[in-house]
Amino acid sequence: MATGGYVGKILRLDLTARTSSVIETEKYVQWGGGHGIGSAIFWELCTDKTVTGRDPKNVVTLMTSPLSGTMAPSASGRVEIQGIGTAGYPINWFTRSNFGGRFGGQLKYAGWDGIVLEGKADSPIWIDIINDKAVFRDAKDLWGKDTQETQQLIWELKENEEHGWTEIGKTRDSGRTTQKPAVITIGPAGENQSALGCLVHDAGNAAGQGGFGAVFGSKNLKAISVVGTGSIEIADPAGLFNARIWAKDEYAAAPGQQVEPNGPTFGVDPAPVFLYAKNPDGPMGPQACQGCINGCRARFETGIANESSCQETSMYKAFDVLAHGEGTDASYIATDLVQKMGVNSYELMQGMGYLYALSKMGVLGKGLEIDTDIDMSRIGEADFVIDLVDKISNREDIGEDLADGFVRAAEKWGRLEKDYAAGILDFPYWGYANHGYDPRAELEWGYSSIMGDRDMNEHGFNANFWSVIKHMMAGMEMPVSAEEYAKITTSKMVPYQDDMSMVDYSTENMYSESFAKLVVWQRHYTRFWKQSALYCDFRYPDFTNYNREDNVGITGDGEPKFWNVITGQDITFLDGIELGRKIWNLDNAIWILQGRHRDMVQFASYIYDIPLENSLVGPYYPMAGKVGDEWAYINTLGRSIDRDGFEEWKTHFYNLEGWDVASGWPTRETLEGLDLAFVADALAEAEKLGGV
Amino acid sequence: MVDKDTSSAGEIVPAEKTGTISRRQFFTGVGGLGVGIVLGGTLFNGLLLPDEVIAIPASQGYLLVDSKKCQGCNTCMMACSLTHHGVQSLSLSRIQVIQDPFAKFPDDKYIAQCRQCADPKCVTACPTGAMHVDTETGVRTVDVAKCIGCQECVYACEFNVSRAGWNFEEKHAQKCDLCLNTPFMDAEGGPGGQQACVAACPTGAISFVSEIPVQSDAGYEVNLRDEGWAALGYPIDDEGKVSPAEAALAE
Repeated sequence: MATGGYVGKILRLDLTARTSSVIETEKYVQWGGGHGIGSAIFWELCTDKTVTGRDPKNVVTLMTSPLSGTMAPSASGRVEIQGIGTAGYPINWFTRSNFGGRFGGQLKYAGWDGIVLEGKADSPIWIDIINDKAVFRDAKDLWGKDTQETQQLIWELKENEEHGWTEIGKTRDSGRTTQKPAVITIGPAGENQSALGCLVHDAGNAAGQGGFGAVFGSKNLKAISVVGTGSIEIADPAGLFNARIWAKDEYAAAPGQQVEPNGPTFGVDPAPVFLYAKNPDGPMGPQACQGCINGCRARFETGIANESSCQETSMYKAFDVLAHGEGTDASYIATDLVQKMGVNSYELMQGMGYLYALSKMGVLGKGLEIDTDIDMSRIGEADFVIDLVDKISNREDIGEDLADGFVRAAEKWGRLEKDYAAGILDFPYWGYANHGYDPRAELEWGYSSIMGDRDMNEHGFNANFWSVIKHMMAGMEMPVSAEEYAKITTSKMVPYQDDMSMVDYSTENMYSESFAKLVVWQRHYTRFWKQSALYCDFRYPDFTNYNREDNVGITGDGEPKFWNVITGQDITFLDGIELGRKIWNLDNAIWILQGRHRDMVQFASYIYDIPLENSLVGPYYPMAGKVGDEWAYINTLGRSIDRDGFEEWKTHFYNLEGWDVASGWPTRETLEGLDLAFVADALAEAEKLGGV
Repeated sequence: MVDKDTSSAGEIVPAEKTGTISRRQFFTGVGGLGVGIVLGGTLFNGLLLPDEVIAIPASQGYLLVDSKKCQGCNTCMMACSLTHHGVQSLSLSRIQVIQDPFAKFPDDKYIAQCRQCADPKCVTACPTGAMHVDTETGVRTVDVAKCIGCQECVYACEFNVSRAGWNFEEKHAQKCDLCLNTPFMDAEGGPGGQQACVAACPTGAISFVSEIPVQSDAGYEVNLRDEGWAALGYPIDDEGKVSPAEAALAE
């Protein structure tokens, strides 16, 4: 029973009929929020789970959590989006993405815990949500506009502004706000249903992976705008305020002060995360998602690439340096461009590397085997990326081939296997671009991605890589030894907390049951605490926190503390992880109905055949690991994944999940143990129940 | 977004809304901009000094903000609605942060907080005394029992983004009371106590002071940035126009 956090209603929109209805949230509270509720609704409403992402029968959910729009630190601003994607290979899995900003808060203030999209509009529309009213509006004036223009045009429709407050409705008491409507929109890439199309909100929040831009485009849905003036009930208001101050005082950086470098964790300072070859050095100010304990982005004196951080700031780096020997404005222009055009920068970054390799091989270019008008000699210049993004967005030239992603383009060009074999098509799992944290070195990133549906993009264990790298580059000593890191981290990994070998990244341990436990824990932890409760990936889990003398982070204590004071429930950290297990099992059942089997759970061939020699920062990829009996930060480069070893690891994984090791399908016993008998029934009907 | 002109100090306010102070206190106060000027039924033209004047006591506290240090997370707004009303709402917050994601720094954010004006137009405009000056602390605040919902205070506030807000849920006017009345905050609020927004702000972009700032726009928009802030790569000059890298080059 929850007495706070939820606002009680989910907005169900039938785009075909242009009608709306209400789903009572209470029915789904057992799934927590965000991803859990999204999966449960998708399971029920998407009756044929084998449809493609662009099929009108595809059901899309945008879900908040009880924590959205509240003071829960770095958990207030994110929204989970789910549905069948367009960017996967060989199957477009039921997938997820997630974006920050302030959309989730506004949606809750408007009185909605989430949105369900069904069907397809017969002409372009946008959805205008103002408190409890949702209106389907004609999008002919927005179609063709970039993401910035679209949002600004919608904001211009704001009416009744008086004394800086926008009055909602016509009565004194119908609500008022000073805030701009929060808009999630596609750009031209999404309109033209390119799998590289993503959803963008404000200047720099994007749901990039999964190809949801094409899904919106296929539904003729340009944008959703929401503004709300209502309130969210909180079970223990004073408790929430006290908890926020506790987190700030005990774990966060001192306000406005630089702290010991770390990877993406709770204790870092509000410095923007830039990965440009030449980072901006002009005047700028900090920018954060709603409720963040310390933001990771900035806005600039130039206004160019506002709110961009991390990967999207690195997407043109290599090419910029290739062309100029150093970072230039071309990188800022490229980053700004993908935000405005709504293009997935991960896919584009690795894709440009692939195009460059093909051009150097004499395969791609004007009049060549893969004929293109794009001048490959200009790669690294601003005009090159502008031309390429334009062609992708409009499905012109090779942009048409790339409309289903680079891997399917390679297949179409008859080059998939040989370019995988050569290692030039760096898309290791399910057709998704390598995140830069290669499966051969950072094992959990690869294993979690391949056991799931996409590049997982979860930095919990990756944070240690960045911590060590930053200390190395600064010539500083790590605040914790590898053994201390392992001890602190694994102590929080309930229910497997007694096994320190879980975080041993050594080659000797890479196929072990212990390492399978890490991935199982990660799948369950993130499915609930990060993707359902919507704690931000850039701040949680917080294993090590250098603002504290004991270096012990907030994870384990913080997540349930905020959940409980907001909802009035009394759950433990482990309760959340166990709910994550249940949600993960539901997701896996959907993949199985789509065609998942153990045999197809494989990386691209180069991951097995070509040792990794460099990380994204050079010839070193430090992770914790054991050398003999001693813990150290070891270099995990120089190795590939062994095919038999990986099969051994998969068997450990399936055993830990209670899934049939031959097929990877769950057993009835496992599903019923999770109160998922209805899922077992559905799998049995499809003759895909494990252990039968 | 720019505040309206605030330099109107000659308004006449009914004396019965305020306490009385001595002539000496009046001079002291005006000299330090410590009180709002109010005459007990007598026109004050700068030449005629009555033996006794009635003034609105100065507030014993003020919020200063640095929008160049604000990260736009709206945590202050959520802290405000939470501690005053027990809910999370941006609309019920008495401090408002307005942003344009596409604007150029430093014009991308604007923090609208109540100034506890020396000459509070919201108090003047209130026909019932609901919007009043707290006798103990000088804080301009609302006695909700007296509020008749006319919104005269909302319209009277001279700033764009009126600092007197209309609480459309509870049907009364409200404004920043420096956390004098925060039933959902354990710590004591008000001047001398804790302000929820100051306590919660992650970057330290809001501060509390006891002395009334200079009565100009810049008086409340101050520079709260120090060398630690510069170490994060952000400018610390008053205008936010010189980045640390540029400052280092200039040296």
